Amino acid sequence: MIAKTRHIKDTKKLIGSLPAVRYVDPKYLYAATTNARCNSFELYIKEGEHVNCCQPIGMRHGPFFDQPIHSPCSGTFVGFEKHYHRNGKLIDFIKIENDFKDTFDKSCFKRTPEEIAKLTKEDITNIVKDCALVGLGGSSFPTYVKFQTQKKIDIILINAIECEPYITADHRLMLEFPNRVIDGIKYAMQAFDCKKAYICIKSKYKDIKTVYEQLLKEHEGSGIELCCVGNYYPQGWEVEMIKNATGIQLNPGELPSNRGIIDFNVSTIVGLYKAIKYNMPVVKRFVTVTGDGINFPKNFRVRVGTSIKDLIPLCEGYKNPDKEKVFILGGPMMGASVPSDDCIITKTVTSIIIFDKMEFKEEPCVRCGSCVLSCPVHLEPVQIMNAVKVADKERIKKLNPLKCIECGLCAYSCTSKIQVTDYIRKAKIFAKL
Amino acid sequence: MTIVKESAPHLRRKASVTRMMVDVLIALAPTLIFSFVVYPIKTLITYVISLAIMIGAEFVYVGLRGIMPKDGQKHSFKERFTYAYKGKYNQNNIITPAISAVIFTLIMPAGAPIYAVIVGAFVGIVFGKLVFGGLGSNIFNPAAVGMVFAKICFGSQYVTYVPTWYYEGTDVVTSATPLGYINNGAYASIGNYDLFDLFFGRIPGALGEVYKITIIIGLIYLLVRRSADFRIVVSYLGTFSILMLVAGLSVMGLGTGINPFMFLLYNLLSGGVLFGAAFMLTDPVTSPINAPSRWIYGIIAAVATVFIRLFAALPEGVGFSILIANMVACVLDHYEWSSSRYTWKKFLTMGLLIVIPALVTFLVIYYGDTFNG
Repeated sequence: MIAKTRHIKDTKKLIGSLPAVRYVDPKYLYAATTNARCNSFELYIKEGEHVNCCQPIGMRHGPFFDQPIHSPCSGTFVGFEKHYHRNGKLIDFIKIENDFKDTFDKSCFKRTPEEIAKLTKEDITNIVKDCALVGLGGSSFPTYVKFQTQKKIDIILINAIECEPYITADHRLMLEFPNRVIDGIKYAMQAFDCKKAYICIKSKYKDIKTVYEQLLKEHEGSGIELCCVGNYYPQGWEVEMIKNATGIQLNPGELPSNRGIIDFNVSTIVGLYKAIKYNMPVVKRFVTVTGDGINFPKNFRVRVGTSIKDLIPLCEGYKNPDKEKVFILGGPMMGASVPSDDCIITKTVTSIIIFDKMEFKEEPCVRCGSCVLSCPVHLEPVQIMNAVKVADKERIKKLNPLKCIECGLCAYSCTSKIQVTDYIRKAKIFAKL
Repeated sequence: MTIVKESAPHLRRKASVTRMMVDVLIALAPTLIFSFVVYPIKTLITYVISLAIMIGAEFVYVGLRGIMPKDGQKHSFKERFTYAYKGKYNQNNIITPAISAVIFTLIMPAGAPIYAVIVGAFVGIVFGKLVFGGLGSNIFNPAAVGMVFAKICFGSQYVTYVPTWYYEGTDVVTSATPLGYINNGAYASIGNYDLFDLFFGRIPGALGEVYKITIIIGLIYLLVRRSADFRIVVSYLGTFSILMLVAGLSVMGLGTGINPFMFLLYNLLSGGVLFGAAFMLTDPVTSPINAPSRWIYGIIAAVATVFIRLFAALPEGVGFSILIANMVACVLDHYEWSSSRYTWKKFLTMGLLIVIPALVTFLVIYYGDTFNG
């Protein structure tokens, strides 16, 4: 079929209506020592030492910034263990034995509304930095960097679109903690001293729409509005969202703050709420476990640091265990596949998708042009692929693969089932040479 | 249970090349059946010959590409055969030459001798497709290459009227195909054939491309199934209509009393315009890759068709214009300027590509005699 593809077959309607199962007290919890942005660390505690929930137990060091490590629960530090991280690497995790008491560290305290009203942008930036808040939609970009912008911000956009198929974690968050979302937005508006905020959702989410229309009536005059945008993929991409919500078309590579816009994922906003209200890092989050390789897909509210192995029995185990499985952390279009189910849910894991391995038979490219029509950044994936095949560096550079956002639509729409996105990734390496 | 790694995205759309090709075959089926009914023996012979040659050539080609490298050892025929064909010969190696064979059959004139069919089919598949590397790599439409080659080499041997129950040839000796009337400036005599006859193919011409009714059904099916790009069809037929309307108005201005809209309809329904637009131009392999280029591609093909039809000394305007457009397709795809964005430059190009030929058409028809005299 020669057609522009924007809609992906989905199971969201089914899973999104399931309330999240609380699974917040596993026996052992794990905290990552390194991640994609920080590659070394130091530890403040010794083996056998008791730690409190939210206590800073170490510091990750990266080339651009440092990030404190917080204990996800109260208990005893029992040593290191190797597990798979979200980025597919086997790394050391700090293993903490849960004592189920949930004693909070003294660094956590409740701020009164008067105290909060006095906070300036610098204060909020520091709180966010100390609480190690990062983009929880999956980017894991440190949020305090966003707060450091000197530009005048007019509009805050809340990204609750969740355009990737299968994932419903943000959907449950929106429905189960609407007040936290609204308060978080208010804190962000206070920090940037801006008058307008839009909560962007897909227009097909009727349940969220009903809840927030009701709720926003109570917050009249706050400047928060609900903004229904398109139902297609990749609507959740920053540029596409800004275009549909505000009508502003960003130039490639331009920061939204240049145009007076800043955007946050809805989970990040709830993280911000926790950080400002209770001075707490993110210790719990929503996670969707789904896919055709699992018996009962479910939404979970889990503690950060839970092992995925613990969640599988709660979903009644794997379906067809004799078949090969693909294990994806994140969405099925952009998420990373990990080589084992021995992974840990970090802050930025939105979902665990387990598919039966599908064998796609690759056929020769017939130049149908579906990838070109579907590409949201107006690249020509097939031309880039042909250039990569002959390693023509000049041609690759001219075709500008660095604009690619790796949304995966080219491979998804390919009639010949070619893994086009992989070629584009190779082209990016070529183009950077 | 084993867990395997794969790179994102992990989903694929439900579409396949094979399905797209089968769609083309389904769309061609009504025309082929109509052709069988009208010329049973002639169609059967042409079809079987071209099918055998094209699928056979593809089979031999796969075998030649898979010749074992010499390693000093002796291998049995069976070993060599599996080495060459295992995993490399699949349904696409049968369906795509079959499409070329059906199209070739339907565009061959009913009066073409058998040897022209054989030579045309062979040249079409070998020099139109296989020398470039098979499916997905060919520059030219194989069927068009074969048909044009046969016409150039053996055109004088073609019989103009083949007896059939479907219609009566008025005068076997002098009757030319309807297009012969338009060519050579004999604009006035286009009334010899009824529009109704043209629509149902009650005229001498090619085996299949004259049955407009079944071609339109096939075209609608292809567009609904999205197995053909509507951009090419619309831009080709649209530009063709505009230019033919200009030509019709110019002819009317000469004082011939011809209705320009009848002239346009007549041109749309005669020859291979509809067939070419539906099944040959839209072949994704030989058309450009992005949307703006596809609009330009259709316009270029239409301009070539109109010029060849009105002014050239050669027949087969559609066949030639498709080959010309195929040549331009790779130029349109050059990485220096190819882009899927619509820019004002591209709109300007499209506009100029329509306006200048329209002007030329008008000048040549209206003042042509003045220039000659």
